[in-house]
Formats: sequence, structure tokens, C-alpha cells
Amino acid sequence: MNCHQCQQNCHSVKQKRSWWKRLTNKYRPEPVLAVDGTIALVGTPNVGKSVLFNRLTGIYVTVSNYPGTTVEVSRGIAKIQDYRVRVIDTPGMYSLVPISEEEQVARDLLLQESLDVAIHVVDAKNLGRMLPLTFQLIEAGLPVILAVNMMDEAEQLGLKVRSEALQTELDIPVVLMSAALNRGIRELKQTIIQYLSSPSNQPLINLEVAT
Amino acid sequence: MTTQPTYPEPIERAIASIESWLHGLGENNLLSQYSRSPRSLALLLLQKDPALWQTLANNPRQQQEVEILLTVAQNQLQYPLDLAIAETRQKQARALEEIAIQKSQTTANATTEVLHRLTVNPITGIPILMAILYFGIYKFVGEFGAGELVDRIEGFFEGQINPVVNQIAAQLFPWQPLQDLIGNDYGIITLGIRYATAIVLPVVATYFLMFSVLEDSGYLPRMSLMLDRLFKSIGLSGRAVIPMVLGLGCDTMATMVTRTLETRRERLIATFLLSLAVPCAAQWGVILGLLAQKPAALMVWGGLIVGIFLIAGYLSAKLFPGTSGAFYLEIPPLRLPKLRNILTKTWVRMKWYFGEILPLFIWASVFIWLGRLTGLFDVIIRGIEPLATAIGMPKATAPVFLYGFFRRDYGAAGLFDIQQQGGLTGNQLVIAAIVLTLFLPCIAQLQIMIKERGLKTTTFMVAFIFPFAFLVGYCVNLVFNILRVSF
Repeated sequence: MNCHQCQQNCHSVKQKRSWWKRLTNKYRPEPVLAVDGTIALVGTPNVGKSVLFNRLTGIYVTVSNYPGTTVEVSRGIAKIQDYRVRVIDTPGMYSLVPISEEEQVARDLLLQESLDVAIHVVDAKNLGRMLPLTFQLIEAGLPVILAVNMMDEAEQLGLKVRSEALQTELDIPVVLMSAALNRGIRELKQTIIQYLSSPSNQPLINLEVAT
Repeated sequence: MTTQPTYPEPIERAIASIESWLHGLGENNLLSQYSRSPRSLALLLLQKDPALWQTLANNPRQQQEVEILLTVAQNQLQYPLDLAIAETRQKQARALEEIAIQKSQTTANATTEVLHRLTVNPITGIPILMAILYFGIYKFVGEFGAGELVDRIEGFFEGQINPVVNQIAAQLFPWQPLQDLIGNDYGIITLGIRYATAIVLPVVATYFLMFSVLEDSGYLPRMSLMLDRLFKSIGLSGRAVIPMVLGLGCDTMATMVTRTLETRRERLIATFLLSLAVPCAAQWGVILGLLAQKPAALMVWGGLIVGIFLIAGYLSAKLFPGTSGAFYLEIPPLRLPKLRNILTKTWVRMKWYFGEILPLFIWASVFIWLGRLTGLFDVIIRGIEPLATAIGMPKATAPVFLYGFFRRDYGAAGLFDIQQQGGLTGNQLVIAAIVLTLFLPCIAQLQIMIKERGLKTTTFMVAFIFPFAFLVGYCVNLVFNILRVSF
């Protein structure tokens, strides 16, 4: 539906392409901007990654209550305190082993770009279905923050999420939030900063080969 | 990492041996580009990740070594490796969910549950869909947007802007052709900008508003789920419903979304159907506006397009045999859409759309002006005229088909113009609407098609679609004449 998404990235990074360039499909390379870190939003379709992207960067990517609307990777810059953070919104994925083209894009990006943080966005109502991807992200050695989104809807269903329990069990930071209602955004930003400002700025998981 | 999944013994052993094998490769590790974590690499290999195996195929010796490790692990297990791995993760996830989620008394929302069932069940779902089409599309977009709003803005243009522009042009430029570039019948302002703002804009604005409401409410996935059965019955995968439904908003975006389809065959069929028989927002609106006064004509148009869609779908599914992937669609909850979100979304789409079409419309005006100046326009028009008369259209519509090549909505806007001057009969309106729907909607979609499917495939599709559109128009005209139908 949102045709403009193909151009979205370019508008957002303040490089307007003329209609002719758009027709001939000559993409200009993304300008190189100095950033203090790169984070990616990951998760199954329709968990609110694009809303979160909007909230973090102020860039509007069309959000839709329809799974699979994001097929391209969007990039933007978020200013968190004094940090300039590059934020990458990825197409939805169910597992690290891709089944379709856009999942392949998301997977390659996750594993190949040097990310400081991967934010795994999950739907609080379906936590159990989403955690397998969390495991895979941790296994891949990525520094993961678990963003448990749509808390408002979970609460309406009478569900309570014990974030401390999740945090101790998974050994990664957990933030409860409702991105659409602007709840939990500040906490998430603080958690991101903690990662970026930690002296090593390295993945917390030991990558040494177990022999 | 107290609860990181621990896989069944044979798998853990295989992971360990792949890890040390990778370590032993050192520089020769082809897979190091994929992940920094050997454990993750090992698991991806065990799950037969296609990209990794393809890389590995560059080194047959390494590939063989991994295959041996895999076979050893597989022989000790009853289930396929990937299944066993997924199963372990899911079990772990469920256990963790037990710990992390506290469920108070189930206050399952009864109303949304009932609504969900009503929208998904075909018996109630189809009437609901019809009601949405009638009130949302026909009444709101067709009568209000394409009727009321267009009349107002058109009237304003014709009454206030065009005469002023023509007058100023006449005074500024002593040379007639220069006057024609800005004003008069085909001028940039009097035709290009007028078409864009007076005809297309109100139609698209109302349609996008409507579509955004449906989208945010969560109705669209339920509609897809309901239509899934219909799709299966013609041999298409249900998953292809997603781009089709999105195509009702914008075919260009929908063509991009065909990426979510699993097989090449499905992507091919979906792209073809999108470009042939799925009208986009702009087309819907203008066609509704054209036919709104004649409900019977609208039914004929709708019935024919649905018919062509089903037949083309059925035939192409037969033509490209193959399996289609299983349909698995996350059904989001039904939500009461938030006004602000809808307005923002509609606004962003409008901005995008307007930015896209306005330059095109202006360029079209310039091209037409150039063509008329050099006489080329008349030559092309004379070439199209026989085609137009063959499908029963008056000669005056020949330029409309020329516009139609630029964009379908531009052509439709041209028809709108002729109709408002009373130059078309009901039959001609129906035929023109059908032919324009079957055409490719716009250059942007053509461009995305080339990007997604390649030049060769796109050329084949276009070479089929253009003559086919005219052929259908011809046949419909013939049938109308034989049966002596008139609207």
C-alpha cells in the first residue's frame, strides 16, 4: 500500500531525488554521517518495529496494522542525549534461517553489519512465540535488548509481564513498552545509552570458541 | 544465560565439532563473513541454511566435511535436525513464558472475538465486505470524493482559475503556441495541474483516508484470510492475497510486497495479476466517479474485472505449475483506529502521491504541447483513432488513450473531462473504464516491475497486457452491440 516507502529512505536523509532520477532508478549512495553507534530493530512482522523507528528517529515510515508492509530497510538517525545513533528498521523475520527474500535481507544485515545493539521487538501478547528468535540472536553473539511492546494490549487481556524474571533468565536487558502510546521509549533510550557508553562497547557474550 | 536453549545431546556434539572444525579452518573459513559466533554458524549449518550452503559449495572439501558431521548427528536423531532444533527453542520459550507471564482472570474481549469471527466467516464476511465497498468506496470515495468534491474543485478551476490564466497568458505572450503551453485546452495549468488537483487529488485523498482506516483497524488481514479460500479454489496460494489486497491501494507498492512470497512462480503470477486486473486507488476513484450515476454499468465493470482476474489467475496457475507455499498470516488484533495516525498516514501518502504525479502531469502537458506544435500529436492520434473506433469509442477519446500510456489515472481524468461535457454514452464509459483498468497503471509500476522481475519478464507481460486490454474492449463492445444493451 505504501508506495512511498521505496523513496522513504531518501527523503528522510534529506536527499531529494528528482522525479527523473526516480524514474531511471538511480539511487544515490547514502551520505556518510558520523555516528556514535548503530542499532537495529528486529522482530516478527507486525510487532511495531516501524512505530518504534518513528519514535526514535522522528522519521515517518508508514505503519500498518498489516503484517509485511515493511519490505525495505529504512535507516535514520536518532539523537539520544549527546549520542547520534544510526537506527535501522528491518523487514519482519521469524527466524534467522530465512524463508523469503526480505527475510534474507534482514538476516544478512543483522549478521554482517557491525551493530552495537540489536533491539528485538516482541509482542507482549505472544511472548512465547517470539522468544525463539531472541535465543537465536543471543546465539549469534549480538548484544540484544528485548523490547516487550504492546504492553497496553497485553494488560487489557489481563497479562502481566515480569520483566525482572525475563532479564535474569535471558541475561539481557528487558524493557516493557507501548511504542504507539509513547510508553517506555525513555527507558529504552537509557538502556541503549548504557550499551553504547559501556567501556568495552563490545558484545557481552563470550565469543571464544569452546574447545 | 541460565535459559539459553541446550539442544539434544547429538546436536550439541555436532555443534561442538563444527565449532572446532571452523576454528581449525582459520583463514580458510568461508563462512566467517556470516557471523561472528561459531555456535550460531554451526546451528545455521545444521538447519541447512541455503545461503551458507551455497557459500560452502565453493569448497567441495569443506562441504563434504560438514556433511559428514551432519549425517553423524542426524543418524542419532529420530527427527530432522532443523525440526529438533526448532522444537528445543520452542520448548525453552514456552518454559520462559510460563515464568515471565502472569495471567490474571481471563478477560477475553468478547466483542472483538465476535467481530473477528464475523469478518472471517465467508457467510457473514462477504456481506460485511460488500457493505464496506458500498459505503466506504462507493458512497464515500465515489459519490462524495469523485462526485461532490471533484465538482466543486473543477467548478472553481473552470470558473475562477482557467479564465484568469488564459487571460494572463494572452497578455504576457504575444505568440499563440506559448499561450497554449500555459493555458487553453492543453496547457500546463489548465490541463496538467487541473487534472492533478481537481480530479485526481480529491479522489485519491478520500480513497487513501478510507484505506488507512481499514488498514489500521486490522480488517485487511481478515479480508485476506477470507479471500484465501477463493484464491485456493483457483489454484493460487493464499499468501498471494496480501499483495493483491495492498494493490487495491497502490499497485506499485504491492509489486514490491510480492517479495514476501516464497516461490518465484508465486511472485510471477502475483505481479502479472497486479498489473492486469487489480485497480489501484487512483483508478478505483476515477472509475467510480465515471460510473457512479449508473449502478448497472458499475456492476458490469466490476463483474468483468473480477472475472478476468479469476480466469487469468486460474490460467496462469495452470500455465506455471508448481507448488505454492503454505499460507501463514499473523492476524493482528482488531483495533479502533486512532484519528491522528490515520490523518498522518493519509497526509504522508497524499504528499508522496502528489509529488509523484504532479511532475508527470506537467511533463505530459509539455509533451502534448510539443507534439501538437510539431504535428506529431496529430499523427499519433490518427494512429490511435481506428483503435478507439474499433472498441466503439468516439474519436475524441483518442488523446485519452495516449494519456493512458503516461498513467492510467491521467487517462481516466481525461475521460472524466469528456464525460462532464456529455461526450460519452453509458456503453462507451464502461468500455473505456475496462480498458483503462486492464492497462498498466503508471510508469512507476513498470519501473518496479522491471526492478523486481527483470526486463525480459516485464516485456512479456506488457506485450500481453496492452493488446489484451484492447481486445477485451473490442469484445465487450461487440457483445453490447449484439445484445443491444445500453446503459
